[in-house]
Amino acid sequence: MQGIESFSNTTIPSTDLPQLEQLNFEALSPSYAKSNRYISLFSTLFIVAVLLIIQLQHFLPLSTTANNVVSFFIGATVFVGFISTIYFILADKRKFYALREQDLSYRSGVIFRKTVSQPMLRIQHVELQRGPIDRKIGLAKLQVFSAGGAMHTFEIPGLPVEKAESIRQFILDHKDVNHYG
Amino acid sequence: MDKSTQAINSDVESTNQSVEILQSTKDWQRISPIAILYFLAKFVAGLLSNIVYLLPTLYIGYDNFIAHPHLWLPVGLGVISLIVISTFLSFYFFQYRLHQDHIEIRSGVISKKHVNLPFAKIQNVKLEQPVYYRPFDFTCLQLDTAGSSKQEAKVVALRVDFAEQLKKEILAQHKLASYTEISSADEAINSTISNAQTNEQITERILNTRSLSDLVIHGLTNNRIWIFLGGLAPFFDDFGRYIVDFFQGLGIDLEKFLTFADKPMWQIGLYALTLTFIILLPFTLFSIAGSIITFYNYTLSKVGDRYIRRSGLLTKYEVTMRLARLQMVVRQQDWLDVILKRINLKFEQSNSALNQYQAGAQNNRIIVPSINPDECLALINDVYPDNKMMSIDYQSISKRFLLRNLGYILTPIFISISIFFITVDKANLLMAVTPAYLFISLLIYMRWLRWGYATDNDFIYIRKGFFGVDYTCFPIFKTQQAQFKQSWFQKRHQLSSLRIVLAAGAQDIPFIKQENAYQLLDKALYQVESSRKSWM
Repeated sequence: MQGIESFSNTTIPSTDLPQLEQLNFEALSPSYAKSNRYISLFSTLFIVAVLLIIQLQHFLPLSTTANNVVSFFIGATVFVGFISTIYFILADKRKFYALREQDLSYRSGVIFRKTVSQPMLRIQHVELQRGPIDRKIGLAKLQVFSAGGAMHTFEIPGLPVEKAESIRQFILDHKDVNHYG
Repeated sequence: MDKSTQAINSDVESTNQSVEILQSTKDWQRISPIAILYFLAKFVAGLLSNIVYLLPTLYIGYDNFIAHPHLWLPVGLGVISLIVISTFLSFYFFQYRLHQDHIEIRSGVISKKHVNLPFAKIQNVKLEQPVYYRPFDFTCLQLDTAGSSKQEAKVVALRVDFAEQLKKEILAQHKLASYTEISSADEAINSTISNAQTNEQITERILNTRSLSDLVIHGLTNNRIWIFLGGLAPFFDDFGRYIVDFFQGLGIDLEKFLTFADKPMWQIGLYALTLTFIILLPFTLFSIAGSIITFYNYTLSKVGDRYIRRSGLLTKYEVTMRLARLQMVVRQQDWLDVILKRINLKFEQSNSALNQYQAGAQNNRIIVPSINPDECLALINDVYPDNKMMSIDYQSISKRFLLRNLGYILTPIFISISIFFITVDKANLLMAVTPAYLFISLLIYMRWLRWGYATDNDFIYIRKGFFGVDYTCFPIFKTQQAQFKQSWFQKRHQLSSLRIVLAAGAQDIPFIKQENAYQLLDKALYQVESSRKSWM
């Protein structure tokens, strides 16, 4: 119902606004980075093992071409696994989140750094997502949906479950969400 | 509360005729059998859109048919009876009722669907009149909620007058609900506003109409042929050969005409021009036809705080948008629009609930096609009286945008391609690569030249484009999410990019000073969080 007419027009010096630049960022759970490294390591090992079994088994001998192809894939898997492990090591160190009274922020990225800020007022619903590994090590991913669409779902991965639950409760208790969400 | 609700109540009661009709539809009931037409059309359309999957079957079946011609009849009859039965069943199982300010719809033959919508939750009411409904005076009533696309409802065949009344009733209910919400905050102001609006509600003011010539211009300028031709590019060779063969069949030796060595330049130019026109003409006509079909008899009008767009040659569409639902205004000009001084104005609503299968989805926005700058200004000012879209100074983005795209991306690619061509002795291919390089460079330069932003107390304005120019303007408090982006290289130069996510899509401003980006984002978050205004 709010038209433009009812817009308040008080000018506020921009230096007085709460500043994103001065956010107090908190680190994710340390086990998140660890689990990512292990997942990367084990999935690489698993694929290499399967390929090696194919190559070394004697029931169905491979032709020379097929053998070369499999060797190539083994090399490629090792390479990709190596790169992705390095990426995880670099990237996971650089993921942070911050909680303010009125909004949530999440910072990530190695070369292209990105800080996403989600005002609570615009949150439509909150979800906690936990895969099998997350459940094992007590982590959760917090997903926050706004009217900005599925492309712009706000996510904080690798939170300790209790922390994620408490943030979720904090959002739900935020009275604006109940009134206008 | 009391005063405002009374005002609206009396408004509702004045149309007590509608109340009567609503009373009579308390029980479950089927719609008019005319809806069979609708289901039939939908079924056929569904069949046609899935024809890609059916092609292999048809292809295999074809040989069988040739071998056994007597199969045609039973198979044909089978298909037809399948269509008839399924349409009839769709019709038979489609029921609706209006009950205690809820609309309930039951539909589905095998998978049943039951939608229950309280009037107060309905955000948007659209009337859609397919061409086959017109002689019988029927229409489809489409109801949108703000939430998920699953919660949408369509009553597929209602008498036009009944649909209109129902629409009125639903919108009145909606208004009532929103007033009740606010009224606790401020009664005095509220009641005056509502009085003003109930008075206004009676008269519908026409803001804009489009004549046939406007639509022809719209068809011309919004020709998507360039994209289409781009997609066809890989087939140009085959296509060309086919044309040459075709003309040879007619006794004209095209290759002789087109051997350029012994012809003067002007003649070659003329050929090229003629050829381009021959190719362009059908597509342009097609585009004009499309424009007329969509926008025929276009009117944009305003009742109270609602904007209504009506148009359509075959299927008549009516889209209603409340001002509060508007997310952003886009003033769009392609290069041809710039020359002809025409503008496409778009009022964008939330599109997060969009779903692909819903044909009317793109009609969720209100487009005013090919209007003059004056009309455009009047419309924008009608919607956002305080905006300064055309008068504010736009700050351009950093020159490093050019350096990044030209210097670090495009030129290295061009140089490596050139070196590759020279080393494999195909230096003549440079003739094709160089113009492409220059053209893309020009595009990037234009992009940089156009891209700018501005902000005042209430709005953020963004200007961008290539040869054309688009202006976007949105109230800051409509922000859904704010993103700050910075790469290593940008950080060294204190630059950054930002993205503001709206319910109507994301808006980017790249390569601006870091402090400006932070200021803008802080301002956006502050306005959202302090104003506490709903985004719709």
